Amino acid sequence: MRFLALLPLVFALHGATLTPERKQSNLNSFEYVWTTIRDKHWDKSLDGAEWKAVHDELQPKMEQAESMEAARRVLNEMIGRLHLTHFGVLPGDVYSELHGGAEGMDVRIINGRAILVRGKHQGWEVEGVQEAIAKVEKLYEHSTMRELMVSRAVAAWAGAHEVTLSNGHGERVTPELSEFAQHGEPTTFGNLPTQYVWSESRHIGNAGYFAFNMFFDPGRLIPALAASVGECGKCTGFVIDLRGNPGGIGAMAMGMAGFFIQQQGELLGTMQMRDNALKFAINPRVPAFTQKLAVLVDGLSASTSEIFAGGLQDLKRARVFGSPTAGAALPSVIERLPNGDAFQYAIANYVSQSGAVLEGKGVKPDVEVRPNRASLLAGKDDVLESALQWIKRPL
Amino acid sequence: MTPVLLFALLLFAPEDLPKGEDVLAKFVEVTGGRAAYEQIRGSIAKGTMTISGQNLKGTMTIYESAPAKQVTLVEFPGIGRMEEGTDGTIAWSNSFLEGARLKLGEEKAMAMRAANSQAKFLNWKKLYKSVETMGVEDVDGKPCYKVVLTPLSGKPDTEYYDKASGLLVRETATVPLPMGEVPVALTLGGYRKEGDLLMPHTLQQSLAGQRIDIEIDSVAINPEFSPKRFEPPAEVKALLK
Repeated sequence: MRFLALLPLVFALHGATLTPERKQSNLNSFEYVWTTIRDKHWDKSLDGAEWKAVHDELQPKMEQAESMEAARRVLNEMIGRLHLTHFGVLPGDVYSELHGGAEGMDVRIINGRAILVRGKHQGWEVEGVQEAIAKVEKLYEHSTMRELMVSRAVAAWAGAHEVTLSNGHGERVTPELSEFAQHGEPTTFGNLPTQYVWSESRHIGNAGYFAFNMFFDPGRLIPALAASVGECGKCTGFVIDLRGNPGGIGAMAMGMAGFFIQQQGELLGTMQMRDNALKFAINPRVPAFTQKLAVLVDGLSASTSEIFAGGLQDLKRARVFGSPTAGAALPSVIERLPNGDAFQYAIANYVSQSGAVLEGKGVKPDVEVRPNRASLLAGKDDVLESALQWIKRPL
Repeated sequence: MTPVLLFALLLFAPEDLPKGEDVLAKFVEVTGGRAAYEQIRGSIAKGTMTISGQNLKGTMTIYESAPAKQVTLVEFPGIGRMEEGTDGTIAWSNSFLEGARLKLGEEKAMAMRAANSQAKFLNWKKLYKSVETMGVEDVDGKPCYKVVLTPLSGKPDTEYYDKASGLLVRETATVPLPMGEVPVALTLGGYRKEGDLLMPHTLQQSLAGQRIDIEIDSVAINPEFSPKRFEPPAEVKALLK
């Protein structure tokens, strides 16, 4: 399961005429997408006449589609009738360009440039990647997922090219590939591929700080957070850093929120599935941390990260710092269609306790702060600094 | 009702159904008899739990002590330990993943009933207002008595007993969790003897769209327990302060 929101897209394949086999595979793809949505969407009313009417209206258009571009337009028109993100069709070649590569590279787009935000070369620019950035930015022009997808595209590009970094002051280096290798403990979970999970815990002045790269490996991460909170009994605040965190196991959001909630019966939100609704109920841990809580997010914080940050913000338990999140809260599945394209669909809907929908909107920080290249080069972290200033301020 | 339909109903009148309590009594009889049940003071069942769709397999141990004490420990690689239990007074659950909590209300009552399954068969009136046979339905192609057990408080459970063998082969219930009410179906099979009792060793649970397979490898009857075995863990005790 991946968390990758796709919007209706326009793809330039120059209108090449399709073979009869290709046309048939597009028709098969049309039926596959229509049936999957009918049978797996959380809203069972899609079994009804309205969705059938969409089929009957658009199927002739698919029969007439003379290019892959036209066929995808029909598929995305059908999907667009749902008015939801996390549903879409992406050409097979573009799908490949958004995965793999230098997956340990932590990069953000600052003023149109791909800037490393952590590690040995924090603040340095990845050179030569502008074309890849422009391509994906155009695809995701109107999506809250833009920052996430561009970052992935840069990492994928870096895995296939020799990378040169520059510091904007005339210095250029060719880094070792190992600099961008994934780090952390290799962890497996069921059918999912091996993930590398790390966490960082420290005290900054009188505040606790805990960062981790994904909601995964609860057997290690949750005790690590417990220890971090436990050592912070006299702290005046605590920072949870979810920047770059794409989410993971949804239940961990509840388990981790419990360290900061005293009141029984609180919810982060509710996930509506096809046959039932699951409330994300928080079990308060004893003793809970009751001082100020700051959560740091950015455009790469997705899914479980958004459920955690948005839920605690909604409960007025946390103040959120950083930039808007990816708006990709729904659990979704990506499957290959008969015509080779990738089809993504969500299997549940999610709303916070107050009824706020995160999907396609994301979590809006209480205090918006974006990384600044000069600060990064100086070894500073403006987002964290802003949260620490708030913690220092008397109530 | 039309005369034709009435005639059809007369032709296909339902068979006489046994009383619910007689279905339970038959189960006791075919699985070892009342005397054998009354000798059970406790047990330790060990096995595995597999969440098929996610390719997750963990170990499971169930400790039971009559009456009404139970602790279940499950450990999955990558998730860690999950445990739940009751000491006959409180019911709780605890895990790395979600933290500790006390089961309350209907969920607590259900946990207490589950820990007291011997009473269900030997003296059902301690736990249920009524036990009624509602009809005959097929489970995996075999006709079964459908028995609805209505607890003293809470929603009814439904159980299916194989007409031919008298064995319990299916249970359905709605479990009230903090996450919401979750319908659960449990299919029981692989009956074989442990001591003097015939017990199911394969259980297939369907819960919120997930299929969970449980295989019981061994059952120790009347083991010695540490006095602390059924005490709740520290995380749960902290909630009681």
